Amino acid sequence: MIFGTHFLPQFIVQFLRILDVDISKKYLADIRRLHLLAVELGLGDPPSLREFHSILKNGGTFVDLKTLKKQENKRKISKGYMWALFCAVFWGLWYLPGTVVWVLNPFDEMYAAIAKASGDGMSLVVTAVLITAFNALTVMLALMVWNGVLGKYGELGRTLREFHPCSKWFFLASIFGGPIAILGSFIAMGFIGGAFAAVAGLLYPVIGSILAYYWYGEKISKRAIIGIGIIVLGGISIYGGGVLTELSSGNIPWIGYLGGLMAAAGWGIEGAIAGKGLDIAEPDAGLTLRFLGENIIWWVIIVPILAILGFPMYSFAFQVFEPLTLLVLVFAGITFGFCYVTWYKSFPLIGVGRGQGIGNLYGFCAVIFIFLFFGDMPEWTIILGGLLCIIGSFIMFTEDTSALETLRGE
Amino acid sequence: MSQRRPIKFRILELFLDGKEHWNYEIVSKIQEEYDMKSDYGRDSINFDIIELASGGMLKDLEQKVDESGIYKKGFLLHRYRITDFGITRASDACLRGL
Repeated sequence: MIFGTHFLPQFIVQFLRILDVDISKKYLADIRRLHLLAVELGLGDPPSLREFHSILKNGGTFVDLKTLKKQENKRKISKGYMWALFCAVFWGLWYLPGTVVWVLNPFDEMYAAIAKASGDGMSLVVTAVLITAFNALTVMLALMVWNGVLGKYGELGRTLREFHPCSKWFFLASIFGGPIAILGSFIAMGFIGGAFAAVAGLLYPVIGSILAYYWYGEKISKRAIIGIGIIVLGGISIYGGGVLTELSSGNIPWIGYLGGLMAAAGWGIEGAIAGKGLDIAEPDAGLTLRFLGENIIWWVIIVPILAILGFPMYSFAFQVFEPLTLLVLVFAGITFGFCYVTWYKSFPLIGVGRGQGIGNLYGFCAVIFIFLFFGDMPEWTIILGGLLCIIGSFIMFTEDTSALETLRGE
Repeated sequence: MSQRRPIKFRILELFLDGKEHWNYEIVSKIQEEYDMKSDYGRDSINFDIIELASGGMLKDLEQKVDESGIYKKGFLLHRYRITDFGITRASDACLRGL
């Protein structure tokens, strides 16, 4: 018989019942003696005297419901933060295939061919469309496998059928997260530079949390706001040096700034919209519909339009079946897919603001992975930014979870 | 039931009677209706309830320890009621065709 924290050995309970022991407070001395006896008889972690008294009153089980509920809530919040942290890791990992794919056939040849006719900026955006379309396709494949493993095809079909109340939110999220945010990010990258695009993208939790607060009253504490703010500052510090270099390089076309705005607003709005849909849908099913929407946008609308405009979309698309290119695209699909799975799973547990804030650590993770795999040595501003990101995360992780039992008021 | 709705819709639908329900009652009903009798199915449905409560659509009124193993021995059981916000969201989502 083992003495658990919450359970008293049944033989002691039976023994007390047989003896018809009075366990009221006036016999405290007897209870104390019984407690000592129980401690001697029991093994492991014995309960305190107060708990012991409570155990006796409850017929053998110590039930401190308040503590149990608090622990359960803490576990739920930790799980939400864990999902958001995984999102940052997968997103950071995605930058490896996301960077490599640009130098692989057919995308490098496509970039060179279009740049010759339409200029570097336009070539970057058009090539990015095809890469993003393939990325969406491999994400969709990864998500179908994921849903199959979880046995959620049924739920996926049921959620898809409910267009008006539910799946419309995920299709709307795909417009903001797909063509608006991703294309905006590539426009910023093409017309200003990669560092500017990264910093612009890192501002998305600010927009996401403000929207979620004003749109459907998602609670956001001062501590969470401070944490998100410090993580954003960390991100800006990571890419700040690059931004200054890019901005001081001369004439900056307005379309580059527009691209940056599209990235921040697109991902922020996507999160807020997804949060609305996730009220009444399972994250795995909802997310798959979001990528179904994105695939339709790229493959049915944008790629054909660019082909009609004279860009060689299909001729390069059919050249993608090279083993290395396919391998990199699959790696991109898996990392991006699971980055989104974990992102969406965090929202119902910790809210859009916190989920996006921690997800923002992707900027720091990307620097680490790029350093590990490509050997690009980080500068001191990057290390400072990383430290700020870690401080911001700790401020959020250590928040009192009792206020997060529900993310909204009634 | 002619055509099944997404599980969270159905959970809200069950709470729309305005009564208080324990999570194990809802879980076992959904398990039956959606043929999800495995432990994984049970936990997955319960997690949907947790997400609905976290989103402010259900209010956690009471808890007790599952001593008999009606849901999962030693775990905390919860009794919920739908909130006003839950009724609004459920009305948007669930009342079609009722």
